Formats: sequence, structure tokens, C-alpha cells
Amino acid sequence: MIELKNIEKYYANKGVKSYILRHVTASIKQGEFVSIMGPSGAGKSTLLNILGMLEEPTYGQYEFMGEDITSLNERKRIELYRNHIGFVFQAYHLIDEMTVAENIEAPLLYKKVSGAERKSRVADVLDRFNMVAKKDLFPNQLSGGQQQLVGIARALVAQPSIILADEPTGNLQSAQALQIMDLFKKLNQEEGITIIQVTHSEVNAAYGSRILHLLDGVIKEDVAV
Amino acid sequence: MFKLNLKIALRNLWKYKGYTFINIAGLSIGLAACLLIFIFLRYQLSFDKGYENEDRIYRIVSSWTYPSEGEFYSKGVPRPLAAAVRNDFPQAEHVAAVQQAGGIIKVAATAARPEVKEESSVFYIEPQFFNIIKIKWLEGEPLKALSVPNTVTLSKETADKYFGKWQNAVGRNIRFANRLDLKVTGVFEDFPDNSSFPFKVVISYLTYKDESLHDWQSVSSSSECYVLLKKGTDVSALKTPVLKLIDKYYEKGSVGKEHHYFQPLSDIHYSEKFNNFTNKVMPGSQIIGLIVIGAFLLLTACINFINLATAQAVSRSKEVGIRKVMGSMRRQLVLQFLSETALITFIALLIASALTELALPGMRNLFSGDISFSLFGHPIIFVFMIALVLVVSFLAGFYPAMIVSGFSPALAIKNKISAANVGALGLRKALVVIQFAITAILIIGTLVVINQMTFMRSQSLGFNTNAIALIDVPSDSLSQLKFNTLKEKLLHIDGVKGASFCNAAPSSTNNNTSSFKYNNTKDQDFQLSVKSTDQDYISTFSLKLIAGRTLSKTDTVRETVVNETLLKKLNIKNPNEILGKFIATQGHKMPVVGVVKDFNNFSLHDKIEPTALFSFKQVYNLMAVKMEPGQLLPAMKAIEREWNNTFPDYVYSSSFMDDQISSFYETERVMSVLFKVFAGVVIFISFIGLFGLISFIATQRTKEIAIRKVLGASTLELVKMLNSSFLWMVLIANLIAWPVSYIFISKWLEGFAYKAPLSIWPFMIAMLLSIGITLITVSLRSYRAANTNPIDALKYE
Repeated sequence: MIELKNIEKYYANKGVKSYILRHVTASIKQGEFVSIMGPSGAGKSTLLNILGMLEEPTYGQYEFMGEDITSLNERKRIELYRNHIGFVFQAYHLIDEMTVAENIEAPLLYKKVSGAERKSRVADVLDRFNMVAKKDLFPNQLSGGQQQLVGIARALVAQPSIILADEPTGNLQSAQALQIMDLFKKLNQEEGITIIQVTHSEVNAAYGSRILHLLDGVIKEDVAV
Repeated sequence: MFKLNLKIALRNLWKYKGYTFINIAGLSIGLAACLLIFIFLRYQLSFDKGYENEDRIYRIVSSWTYPSEGEFYSKGVPRPLAAAVRNDFPQAEHVAAVQQAGGIIKVAATAARPEVKEESSVFYIEPQFFNIIKIKWLEGEPLKALSVPNTVTLSKETADKYFGKWQNAVGRNIRFANRLDLKVTGVFEDFPDNSSFPFKVVISYLTYKDESLHDWQSVSSSSECYVLLKKGTDVSALKTPVLKLIDKYYEKGSVGKEHHYFQPLSDIHYSEKFNNFTNKVMPGSQIIGLIVIGAFLLLTACINFINLATAQAVSRSKEVGIRKVMGSMRRQLVLQFLSETALITFIALLIASALTELALPGMRNLFSGDISFSLFGHPIIFVFMIALVLVVSFLAGFYPAMIVSGFSPALAIKNKISAANVGALGLRKALVVIQFAITAILIIGTLVVINQMTFMRSQSLGFNTNAIALIDVPSDSLSQLKFNTLKEKLLHIDGVKGASFCNAAPSSTNNNTSSFKYNNTKDQDFQLSVKSTDQDYISTFSLKLIAGRTLSKTDTVRETVVNETLLKKLNIKNPNEILGKFIATQGHKMPVVGVVKDFNNFSLHDKIEPTALFSFKQVYNLMAVKMEPGQLLPAMKAIEREWNNTFPDYVYSSSFMDDQISSFYETERVMSVLFKVFAGVVIFISFIGLFGLISFIATQRTKEIAIRKVLGASTLELVKMLNSSFLWMVLIANLIAWPVSYIFISKWLEGFAYKAPLSIWPFMIAMLLSIGITLITVSLRSYRAANTNPIDALKYE
């Protein structure tokens, strides 16, 4: 599903190149649950952003579902992105001015899903996450764990084939973190959604099927769990 | 502390160069417009000021009420009125008659200087006038200098011109109108430019001879009367004495009911109804209009500032937090931010002064007034500038300063101040709606004024105006003898197609109206406009004859041609019906021999008046010459040569019919230029204001935009989202602007008897234009916002 070949990312500053990623080559198959680990500044988030098409690599080739992302035009890329990728953030990044239901509905608007179907899909997801009662609340009226649930619900509603999660439990208490990780595992196993998460926590990594260890922009280890 | 704050302020201005630039650009243009308006108003309001006893000086003016046509006004009074008031009004300390006239002035050549010969406006003035309006006399004494016939006094400038040095003038002679030798008996200081008294050559009133010198029925607008009332006299108490005077002197039973008013000196420059000798009038409505426009401009400039400053506030939040932690009080912060605003305003004012200086020649041209931007000559301008800086700094700076200084230090230091903390967006949106409503009003106004101007230019006046020159001819009896030969000679010039002697062109400011009798009835209850013309008038101006024939060749009043309007007023359906009937006016009784199609006898402000044309050689003072348009230049040269040969003692002067007609619309031309300029300025300022608001909104919604992008929104969709709220604002602004401008426009168009039909187009164009401007401005910024990398916005705090 994902093929990375020799991905490099650096910022040039006054002629000095500071590398974030070097010679990253990896292959991720449909249905895998991958954790990217490493110390701060190792390039984990950058790698995730490149996978999620939010950043472009300086060099290298990135194939997503058989398409070469680096040579795709913006329209095609957004098309691919809308249909296949869902993002979950550490800081949730919900839109403060929108209610829970509206937040969840937002990605469907951009996928040009019809109004009736949007309603039913949002209702579905709310139901599944036991949030029907909270659908008219605003993000700041929810706890962190609940907000992250909304974040995941929002990522799921567009029925992506892959979820990219950047330290999804980083801002949560351990009980809530556990709940979120269970959810990811369930999604991975029951629905076959590919999950790639960035995490510091060995416990969280243990939920996955494979761990990529990143150090100074280089993959040091690629182990199956 | 102050020095540090100043340094920080300057560094901040430098750091956000873009904001600083648009801030200062918008503000300086707004300030420059305000300065220009102020300078102009200061000049206009300085007219006729500073005379001794100025609050007791009045001009007596006249009005007539007609049963069917309402009231007519004139600044003139019957010539015997001054003497009567002097006799009958104990309340008047001094009374003086002033009579305007014009003619050729000749100053004989001396060894040192060649002969002076020029056409000049002169004033016959009673010496008492200079007891009323006290000016400085350089030589002579008014009471003596003007108390005998055949004496003249000159202004310093004129004396310099005629005699080299004014000191040489007294005792010398000048010849006026080729018949009067006048002895110079005094020289007075020039009347200033901002005066309603353009007196340069003042002849003693006793020299003035006119057949209606004792006639109460004839009033010319060139006979004015001034009074100085005794101390403590109440003008409103003069009504009864005036009625008594009217009763005593006027003929009973005339159709127009006469009345006289005392018009204060301070009103003379501003009264459109009465006008004055200089023909420079600044109606109060225009002064108020300019003040309103100035206030609008200042307001839009301040709105910009508020929008931009609050948009920028977020970036200053950390500084505010740290200052507060270090012990700064809110008051000190407010003061700091206010002084930053003052600094920007001051810089803008410096640029505005330069812009004002640049725009001044154009302004002088437009208004033909001696307007100067001199801080030392008029310290009030300096005071105004200081006031402007203070008011603008406070208006524009106070709100942002309050917002910024109100940040909670704990949040501010953690950089947790987001744009959401920066005050109500609603207020700023309302401000921009106001700005856009103002813009739309000015755009609509401009379009309507332009539309009316084109309409008037394209409107057929009922006669031919193209390639017709109007040439002054002397009207003394000696010159009249040469009229026929001159006409013969001119008709032989190549390119001259026709010529006619008359006292006024078909459309003219110089219309004579008088009461008349039709077919031996009593006086009609409306006035007849009369024009004295020779037999070629109708062919020269291509007037269309619809019944009867043109005038036959004659020098005296024998027959008349009338226009359609007269027929309508007299209820005559068939033009042939009036032929052979008699009209009696101004002491002549004549049969109607023809009817012409209506032509506009003044500007399109006024309806066509009932008009009669007849030949009366004695009053001809104009010759209309129709030429081949292609041969205009050589023909005009040849005409001038012939004219000078025929009248060597006079000065040639000519103008084109087309130019005369455009001069009727001078006010409208000035107005349309003003509208165009100010609409441009306001559009520019609102453009900047919009940019400020969209910048603010884009900053405020950075995170939201990023999230939406991550959720799959394309750049175009985001731009659309950001733009849509602005389109709503513009629509609302237009909805506000439409009724307001409709009221203004209909009011303005009321001044025209012939108006261009008011269509929906100006309104639509204003809306489309403002939508277009909005889209361009907003898209510039929202595209950048939508195109930024969402990662930058979503980095963990």
C-alpha cells in the first residue's frame, strides 16, 4: 500500500543542510498497524506528515496505492487524500466554533457526500462511539479523551483506508489512553484499517504489529511485534 | 522609558512593514483629503470678514412674487431706492448705492509709457459706501474724492497698471467709454481676493447717467444698495418700514408683488439666490456637503486603522504579557499603544502635507480661488493639523489599545492569546459595512453626476451651437452706424456662413424678462422673456420656424416672433392662430409674424420660458457669427482683423457658443471632479480596510483553515469559504447605500428641469464594482492563508 524509496528531507539554512530524514526506505502493507518510535527530533512527525501528504519530501519516491505521489498534481493528490487518509492529532484539532456533529460532518462536505448520506453516516459514527447525547456540544465542553474520540470519529467518518495518528494519547490520562488504543486495535483488526501511529510509549507500541525505530532521521530498526 | 517605547514602536513598524505601509498609506490619503477640504473651507469662510462694524452692514435685495410662478429674487434694487432709504430710514447710519457698468478705459500715452486701452468693469459708488465698508486709502479721501461728478478712484494694483506707480495716479485723467474724461482723485488698498467686492475702478456716483435713475419699476441686478444700521437696530423690526416704503414709492397694481430684504454682509458670499458682483458663490449646502465628505473620509481612514491594529494585536500579546509581569499598569500600556498610534498618525500627516501640496494646484484650478497651504499665513491650519493628529490617534488608537492592554498576562506569556481573544469581530464587520456603504454611496453619486452631465451635453437645445462665435460689439450710437458695413464685410470672409446682431444668444445667462399684454388684455400673470435680434438670428442659430415667417429687416421694434411655450401658456393650439395678434411689452406694441420651435433659453436647470424675439438695434451688444467648422481658425483671425478696423477705439472680445453653454454647468463640472476624486480615495481606503479585516480573519482562522485542509479541503474551497462572508457584508452595505444615495440623488436632480432618467444601472454598477473590489482584495489574502502549509499551524504548542 505504501512504498517509500530513499526519502530525504532537509532544510537548507545559509547553505547548511539540516537533515530531518535520510534514506528512509520502507514498505507498509494494507492492514498493518505500525508504530513509529524514537526520541524527540528524530523525524517521526515529519515522516508521518510525508505519509499523510501534508509535507513533501526533498528527495525520494513515495508511492501510495500504486500512485507516485511526488509527481501527482494537487487535484489528484487531494482526491486520493480525501478518499483514503484520516488524521488524528495529539492536540485533537477540532474546530472550536463547530459542534461535535458538525466537526464529524466536515470531511464529508469536502468529499461531496450528499446531505442525506452525511446525516446517516454521522449518526452511525456517533452511535458507534456512544456520543449521541453529546452531538450538540462544543469541543471545549468535552474532556480530553472525549475530544480525541471525536477526532477519531471525524477521521473514520470518511471511511479511510489508513489512519495516521500523531501521538494520539499524548495529551490524555492513562485510562483514556487505554480506551483510545483499544479502539485503534479494534479498528485495525475488525475493519482492516491500516494504522500508522507516532508514539513515545512502549505500551502503545505494543498494540501494533510492527515498530519502526527512528534515530536522527534514519530507520535504525524495523521489528515485528 | 519614553525613548525605549519610541524605539520599540519604530522597530515594530519596521518589523511589520506591510501593515505599516498600508496603514500609513490609507491614513495619509485620508488626512490629505481632510486637509484639502479644510484649507478650502477656511478660504471660503474667510470671505468678507474683518470689516469694522461688520455685523451692522447689510445689503438691500429684492424679490417679486408672481401669482402663477412663485418668487423671483435679485440682488439689485430700483436705482432711486438708496436715496429713499437714506431719507425714510432713521435706523440707517449710512446708505450707499453701487452701480456696476463696463466699458473701454483709455489712459493716454506718456513719454515713459504706451497708451493703455482695455475693457474693464467699473463701479459707480456713492462716497458713503466707504463709511460702511472701511478700507485703507493710500491717497485721497473717499468722501471728497467721490463727491463730485467726473472723478475716479483706483485700486492700488490698477493704479500701478495704468500709471506705472500708484503714487503718480492722483491728478491724472482717464477716458471711460470713449466719452467721459475722469480725473483720478484717490487710490485705495486693493480689496483682497476673498472679498465680494471686486472694485478696481470706482467712479463717483454723480457721474452715473441712466434713463431709469428715478424709475422704481425697472430693476437691474447691477444696482446694489448697502446700509450700515445704527447700533442696536433689530433687522426684523425693519419689516414695517420696508412695507411702508414699498407702499409709498411703488406703482400700485403691478403683477409681481415687490419686497425688499436686508441681507447681512456675512451672507453675501454664500447666497446662491442673490449672488454678488464677483459671481463667486459658495452655497451653505456645498459647505456642509464638503464637511460631510471630509468626515466620511476621516471615518473610513480610522476604521482601517482599527481593523489593522487589532489584527496585529495578537503578535504583540507576548510583549504585553511580559510588560505586565514586569509591573506595567494597564494605563501605561494604553498610553504606550496610543502614542504608537500618534506616531503613525504623525508620519501619515507629514506625507499628507506633501500630498496636499501636490494636489493644491489642481484644487486652485478647480475652484479658481487663491487657496494656499501656508502654516504661517494661516496658523489655524496648523491648529487643525494638531487637532487632526489628536482626534485620529484617539479615534483609531483607543479601541485597539484597550484590547491589547487587556490581555491576561498568564495567557499572553504562554502565547496562548489567539485572535479569538481580540475583541468582537462583529464590531469590525460593522465598521467595514459602514465603509462599504460610504463607498457605494460615492460610486452611485459619481455615476449619476456623470450620467447627468453626458445627458446635458447630448440634449438638443433646440438650436445649433456648433462653430458659432459670439463677438461683443459696442452699443453706442456711433458704433451702431457701422453695424451693417461690419456685417457685410464679415459675410465676405471665407468660412463665415452667417451673422446676426442680438442682445443675447438663444441660451444665455443674460435674459430679460418683463410683463406683457396679449391682444389688448390686461397684464398677463406670467413674464415674457424678450430677446432683441435682427432678421438673421433664426437662420444663424438654425431655429426652426413652425408658422409664419422670420423677422423682416428693420432697426426698430416693428414685429415679433414668439416660441411654442408662449402659445402653450396662452392656451393657443394652432400656431397659425397667433399670427397677426398683438403683443405689448416694454412700451412696444407689435404683431406676431412667426412662431419658432422651443429652444432652451438658459441652462437645463430651468424650464423653457415664453419668449419673444424682435428687432431693436439700440440694445444689440453681441454679434453671433456662424462659421464652417473646418475653417474656424482662419475665419476667426479675419473676423478679429475686420472688427478692429471697424472699431479701433474698442477692445475685441469673443467666445464660442459651446464654451458659453458649458460654463452654465461649471458647478456641476466641479462637483463631478470632486466626486470622482473622493470616490477614488474612498475606494482606495476601503480596499485597504478590507485587506486589514481579511488579514485579521485569516489570522484568527489559521488553525481552522489548517484543520479543514487536513480534512481534505482544497485551496479553492477555502478561499470561497473566506470570501463568502465578505460578499454578504458588501451586499448589506449596498442595501444600506441604495436608499441613502437615492435620497441624495433625487434631491440633487431636483435642481434640473431636464434630467436624465434615473435607472437602476448606477446602483447595479456600484454593487458589481464593490463586489469586484472585494473579491480581488480578499482573494489576495485568503489565497495566501488557504495555501499555507497546515503543518505550520498545527504544530504542538
